[in-house]
Amino acid sequence: MTEAETDTENVPQSKYTKDKKVGEGTYAVVYLGVQKHTKRKIAIKEIKTGLFKDGLDMSALREVKYLQELRHPNVIELVDVFGTSNNLNLVLEFLPCDLEVLIKSKDIMFLAADIKSWLLMTFRGLHHCHRMSILHRDLKPNNLLLAPDGQLKIADFGLARGLGNLNEDLSSNVVTRWYRAPELLFGAKHYTAAIDIWSVGIIFAELMLRIPYLPGKDDVDQLDVTFKALGTPTEQIWPNVSNLPLYNSLRVYPPPSRQELRNRFIAATDKALDLMISMTQLDPSRRCNTSQALLHEYFTELPSPTDPKNLPKNKPNEPTVESNGNTTKRRKVE
Amino acid sequence: MTEVILEDRSRDMCPICKTDKYLSPNMNFLINPECYHKMCESCVDRIFSLGPAPCPYPGCGKILRKNRFKQQVFDDLQIEREIDIRKKVLSVHNKLQEDFDLISEHNKYLEMIENLVYGISSGDNAHDLEIELAKFEQENKVQILERNMRESERSNDMAKFQDAMERLRQEKLKIERKMELEDEEFTKQQKQELLNKLAHSSLNSDELIQQQMNQALKRKSQRKKILQELQSEMEDKLRTSFSSAKEEAPKTPFTPFKGDRDLHKLYRLLPIPMDIDTLMAGNSDPDSYSDANLTLLAKNKEYLAAGWRLHTAVERVMDETFMGLGCIVDKEKSISIH
Ligand SMILES: Nc1ncnc2c1ncn2[C@@H]1O[C@H](COP(=O)(O)OP(=O)(O)O)[C@@H](O)[C@H]1O
Ligand SMILES: [Zn+2]
Ligand SMILES: [Zn+2]
Repeated sequence: MTEAETDTENVPQSKYTKDKKVGEGTYAVVYLGVQKHTKRKIAIKEIKTGLFKDGLDMSALREVKYLQELRHPNVIELVDVFGTSNNLNLVLEFLPCDLEVLIKSKDIMFLAADIKSWLLMTFRGLHHCHRMSILHRDLKPNNLLLAPDGQLKIADFGLARGLGNLNEDLSSNVVTRWYRAPELLFGAKHYTAAIDIWSVGIIFAELMLRIPYLPGKDDVDQLDVTFKALGTPTEQIWPNVSNLPLYNSLRVYPPPSRQELRNRFIAATDKALDLMISMTQLDPSRRCNTSQALLHEYFTELPSPTDPKNLPKNKPNEPTVESNGNTTKRRKVE
Repeated sequence: MTEVILEDRSRDMCPICKTDKYLSPNMNFLINPECYHKMCESCVDRIFSLGPAPCPYPGCGKILRKNRFKQQVFDDLQIEREIDIRKKVLSVHNKLQEDFDLISEHNKYLEMIENLVYGISSGDNAHDLEIELAKFEQENKVQILERNMRESERSNDMAKFQDAMERLRQEKLKIERKMELEDEEFTKQQKQELLNKLAHSSLNSDELIQQQMNQALKRKSQRKKILQELQSEMEDKLRTSFSSAKEEAPKTPFTPFKGDRDLHKLYRLLPIPMDIDTLMAGNSDPDSYSDANLTLLAKNKEYLAAGWRLHTAVERVMDETFMGLGCIVDKEKSISIH
């Protein structure tokens, strides 16, 4: 408790270097940096405070609030937070890749065991969130980041929300459209953790198909695409659904038969299909929760999940984690 | 028993559609263990996609199924076939050492398997043996399956290992066969040489013969050395592939939650009425939680439709109430993960 401790007394930003910009999000610029005393690579998310007339954007505050409550190998680690004269900075562990990049890299093959491993890590991370009464509300491949050791980390808690007040209305305009659960599409304001389970189910499907499963063109089309694939909900299969605000005159599609699902997900085992079906139940009260999912036989049947360190990685010719100057420059020659 | 037709020189051309691999480099050849007649993938697709059909080779006519076609692994079709036969025999005679009380019985069993494989691949009564094997399989289906199930857990690594071992064994056999042929050739040559020398050399016959014998001896010891090296090389390879198979083996048992789970709650939940009717009736159980606000929500159809349930809500409130109790902050901090 000597050097590090006294360092803390100093200006916090002097503990980190801010080396180069690696990305820009809706409300932040992300830099690659190093935590000086550990040499650990970190990402500094600098929140653009100037943009908002009343100071900080809510999402930044949410991200800080919820990440401080979470600590799990499959949730991104918030290493530090510090403010400078006009900025708020989140120091996060540096995660060089995400699942969306891999899904789109058509020359990378996914084994059934790889998909199982990613899904398992997603569920472990999500179980931790839900256990702490935190809904993520924006799960999508792009927010499942991958560490150099293969560990998957749930990231971007900018839309997260506690399950605190029961009477308070929640916004139904959450979750990127393609991964939005039907109760949200119907404008529900008192939804549950089941909305995250739906998103993971759709991600599971996307991992198997290698293309988005329910790519709606707009919010109306999203309903159509969703029900075309999974059947139109009725009072019978989803009691009380007609009480949701936006439930009206829907095109009626029959639910898919098991065989139709088998045909669509050719490589999936019966257990894999079972799990996916239970994650994508239209009625949220019938969807499995994270505990049930983690205990599902899909995870114990062969093949066993790939050891994270052996999972596919993004191509080495992308700027790699090693930023000793020369490697970062070696971009793909087009 | 069908005879295996060895490939001719035109090995890069599909004998059915005459497509040349040179011209379509993406072409793949497949064989079917019924008759081992080679043809290209698109021929297989064309001929067998609609269901089983006879092999198009002139005079063959065996009925082939598309899903049995496979890529040829070994150049030598004899070897390919022997491996298929071995696989087949082993899938039926699948007892393991642990199934025998005595090592000697197990050895006898292995010998029986070897004889059977040899018999089917090259014996005169191959056909009878095949029928016998099929009959045995039929009669012992259950036991065979049971042993297979037991095996399938271990087999993931083992299959790879056995495959590697088989390849090495075959490789060694091939080299030995080649050496035998070379030896024959060498002896013939020596004979010829001796005759020539006897006719033209000034040395007498005893000396010449002695010379040749020395040569042969030298060659023999060289051969022996090469074979020994080969043997130890194989064993090395086997050992490394075995140890890598072993390395993967010590699987830690699967732990779905990795400890991140409240198995021992600090409280016991009272029964909560599941059905709305009980709640609606208002005669709430005195042994349950009564919270006017919660009960109201539990009747709200919009809440219900969105998946909200009284049970989970109560459980969450209890979890949050008890969360952190029994947790010593200083201790937790000192073991904070890094
Ligand atoms: N922890 C991290 N490690 C490495 N790169 C990151 C990290 N977090 C974010 N990034 C990069 O910065 C970009 C913007 O991040 P973020 O603000 O979270 O995105 P968004 O606003 O789109 O949700 C990401 O697309 C990613 O490339
Ligand atoms: Zn052909
Ligand atoms: Zn044939």
